[in-house]
Amino acid sequence: MTNRYDAVVIGGGHNGLTAAAYLAKAGRGVVVLERRHVLGGAAVTEEVFPGFRFSVFSYVVSLLRPEIIRELELPRHGLEILPLDGTMTPLEDDYLWRVNDHARTIRELRRWSLADAEAYEEYGQLMVEMARFIKPILSIVPPDPGKISPMDWLPLTGLARSFKDLPKRLQTTFIQLMTMSAADFLDQWFETEPLKATMSASGIIGTFQGPRSPGTAYVLLHHYMGEIDGAFRAWGIPRGGTGGISNAIASAALSLGAEIRTEAPVARVLTKGGRAVGVALESGEEIEASVVLSSLDSRWTFVKLLDDGVLDPDFREEVLRFKYRGSSGKVNLALDGLPELACKPGTGEWLRGAISFSPSLDYMERAYDDAKYGRPSRRPYLDCIIPTLVDPSMAPPGKHVMSCFVQYAPYHLADASEWDDAARTAFGENVIDTLEERFPDIRSKIAHAMFITPKDIEDVTGLSEGNIFQGELSLEQLFFNRPVPGWARYRTPVRDLWMCGSATHPGGGIMGAPGRIAALEVLKEAKRRRRAA
Amino acid sequence: MPPRPDTIIVGAGHNGLVAAAYLAKAGRRVLVLERSEHAGGILRGPVLAEGFRAQGIVPAVGRLRASVVKDLKLAKHGFDAIAPDVRMFAPQPDGSAVTFWGDPNRTSDELRARSPRDAEAFPAFDAKVRAIASFLWFVNAATPPDPKSPSFADAIMGLKLGKALRDMGAKTGREAIRALPMAVADLVQEVFESEAVRGSLVTRGVLFTGMGAWAAGTAAVFLNDSAVPDAGAAGTAVFARGGTEALADALASAARSFGAQIRTAAEVEQIRSTRGRVAGVTLAGGTEIDAELVVSGADPKRTLLLCDPVELGPTLVWQGSNIRQPGATAKVDLALSALPAFTAASEDRLRGRIVIAPSIDDVERAMDAVKYGRIAEEPVLEVTIPSLVDPSLAPEGRHVMSVVFQGAPRLLTDADWASERNRVGDLAVKTLERYAPGLGGLVEALTVTTPEDLEDDYGLTGGHVQHAEPGLDQFFGWRPLNGHARYAFGLPGLYLAGSGAHPGGGITGAPGANAARQILKDLR
Repeated sequence: MTNRYDAVVIGGGHNGLTAAAYLAKAGRGVVVLERRHVLGGAAVTEEVFPGFRFSVFSYVVSLLRPEIIRELELPRHGLEILPLDGTMTPLEDDYLWRVNDHARTIRELRRWSLADAEAYEEYGQLMVEMARFIKPILSIVPPDPGKISPMDWLPLTGLARSFKDLPKRLQTTFIQLMTMSAADFLDQWFETEPLKATMSASGIIGTFQGPRSPGTAYVLLHHYMGEIDGAFRAWGIPRGGTGGISNAIASAALSLGAEIRTEAPVARVLTKGGRAVGVALESGEEIEASVVLSSLDSRWTFVKLLDDGVLDPDFREEVLRFKYRGSSGKVNLALDGLPELACKPGTGEWLRGAISFSPSLDYMERAYDDAKYGRPSRRPYLDCIIPTLVDPSMAPPGKHVMSCFVQYAPYHLADASEWDDAARTAFGENVIDTLEERFPDIRSKIAHAMFITPKDIEDVTGLSEGNIFQGELSLEQLFFNRPVPGWARYRTPVRDLWMCGSATHPGGGIMGAPGRIAALEVLKEAKRRRRAA
Repeated sequence: MPPRPDTIIVGAGHNGLVAAAYLAKAGRRVLVLERSEHAGGILRGPVLAEGFRAQGIVPAVGRLRASVVKDLKLAKHGFDAIAPDVRMFAPQPDGSAVTFWGDPNRTSDELRARSPRDAEAFPAFDAKVRAIASFLWFVNAATPPDPKSPSFADAIMGLKLGKALRDMGAKTGREAIRALPMAVADLVQEVFESEAVRGSLVTRGVLFTGMGAWAAGTAAVFLNDSAVPDAGAAGTAVFARGGTEALADALASAARSFGAQIRTAAEVEQIRSTRGRVAGVTLAGGTEIDAELVVSGADPKRTLLLCDPVELGPTLVWQGSNIRQPGATAKVDLALSALPAFTAASEDRLRGRIVIAPSIDDVERAMDAVKYGRIAEEPVLEVTIPSLVDPSLAPEGRHVMSVVFQGAPRLLTDADWASERNRVGDLAVKTLERYAPGLGGLVEALTVTTPEDLEDDYGLTGGHVQHAEPGLDQFFGWRPLNGHARYAFGLPGLYLAGSGAHPGGGITGAPGANAARQILKDLR
């Protein structure tokens, strides 16, 4: 076995695998090194209880870039995405149920508010137009605002021109989306509380912000950029769980000639004269490479993997002050049968989509208030799905799995408390209590329960502070400033060490864009150097 | 008989007066129409007690633009600024205190006993704030560009801005871009470890707003509050001799000296227009006054409501109704029989701003209450005792105290301001008693200005002192609305010159001066 590669990729999550696949596709000798025994990072499927398989951390997909699906021919490698239809917001004795069938959703909204039903169409069109405008940003390499390099700024001038050409109405909306809170933005359009609250949820998922925090409107739009088979705003579940995506990308990478090693934790990035020359595994084995790509977050990459003294202290300082602040947890349930909603008894199609615990903006904001002061929300926002209703392979016949995304669960607890076993149990039981308020029979259906705190996310996947996006998606940590101000171009101060994970632009979610853009930048740089030499 | 005016200014607040003075100076025939009995807007305080003169709603005037003072010769008209050495004094629940001085090194020396790390960090943080603030100073003096059809002048301005950013150096430039959209709590927390320091600093990012310390964009509010020469991280503490009313009188006198007329007790009820162009105003009572230009010092929502909605069109009416003005500030004025004894404070430390905000969480909690329509039980207070630097404001040996009460929402849930008014005064005194025991016994008179009063008496929609929330969504090129940031507002011939226009609120005179400059340019 050779110990010298063109490129080594640290971390076998979906971005690391994507980067490896693109490098292999360009003919490079690549090896991916994964710490765990399974691939996927946070996009992983595991059989947690016998017969019950879970997307342990992430749970739905929408943002996966279509060019990646096409270029890596992922459907050929087993990628199948099943549609997730609608969002049900259960209330005490009523509900708000939106489905992909537009006309039906409008009828449902009319039941709540004629004005909202009318505004809903206009709003949806507007957001799609906005997403079309902003999508090119997802494939841009951000320039450095501290430097004026015409070539780097060129893609932005194009964007500035298309901004200038936008109708004023859309310009205004764009500015509002970049600066407003989700609640303020939605207040301009709608009056129905459960509608506003449920829509605001996509502005706060994975962030340490409340629906009234300025900057969350942008994340609303981020979620409108998803598309599946060209259909905007479609959410789906990969067959076999989110690990299905990672496996498909891994299979593509392997077929293109990449090597993938699991249970191969990297201990250090080897440097010589200020440039990266390979990695050392925890086993002591050393692997040489011309370039090293890290799909880990910036804290892991620069603080844990680099020897002291390699980095400039100012840069290290910037890395250390980058905010993580994990805010979410997960409860995965193995069920003997389907639970029933008190507000809509039976087990019909309304259980096939997302079930959102978000009755009002104040409910969401109060959940955030708890977290601000270091407590898990007493009544959290829950986003639940029952994947077995569309993909029965996830559980034994007749049984079900239910995945509940829980927010907020702050990584840093008040009064220096720790996320120990007792805290985890209390957290999970509180989620089940919350579920029970709408699903009165849920406890009788639970065969097994798995509670995941932000500390668990950190321990298992390595995501610092359990932040699922590898760094808070706040305005000052986007674009130019992601993952370190002035270093948004996938390069790092260490020559030949690159970043390719969610920590880089355009950020988190099962999107794959960072891995793809980073790999293309590595190839471009190599070409440039060849030409210079 | 005075000449027929060609320019009407709606409202004689400080920005209205500044715009009036500049326009009159340039030869316009200006008539200022003020609803109340006196010119001055929020520079006028309540009537407190015989011999005591209360400050206006914003008691300190350190952000007044130097060029305004010079151009309008305000000193000649009686304006005299007093700047004590101390900027901010922050007493703590444990009886200790943090003092911020004009000299950052002195602040740093005193911080050493509390936290060597914070003492070490303060001068560098102060320098960073000064650097970014000098860039903002530049931004604030500019008319925002027109994103729809950028002109040659806009391009030059953009280049100048880019140059100003580059001149700061790559590191500070990056830092400015990173800092502006941040939450002030993050900006401060990443540098300082002591809650006493953090709490008192973040207060300047939330005062006179409806936002908490963790809201993105409050760092910009903080930095903007520092965007005057020599403010630094500690901010300014400058008083007008004779009180803020003396500044109001100076502004009015300056405007008159250039030929502007000021008519008080003249409420504008309607801004009239014909064929899509401003034609003049109608006063309450029906008097019509014609003019080709109307410049509004009122807030943007109120200004639009004065216009004919048919002329404005449905889009602008809808956008105007969505301008955010969540007022969350009340004001308490006290007449005191003696100087209250703050624990751990010599008199020289009390001459600036006294801030009650022991931690970031305390600031956040006060603003949490606002979100749910409740008065904060533990408000954030900014207290000034101007009679310490200007004894003429109170009878000998006695004092006037101004308390800005942060955590009082305009709209209360399950209550109204008629019944809650006294509670604000009680809460302010109760909170202060903790730091200055015995203060309650010194109170000779007390008035409360509620957010409802700010709306009804001062004409501030939503009770918002800054006319429009200084959030990132109502900033620079889109303050108060996208496409309406260049002072021309709503209808041809109508301009906005108040705090709702760039660069926003505070006693700066900047929106008024910028608007006047732009109007004269547009006329050319």
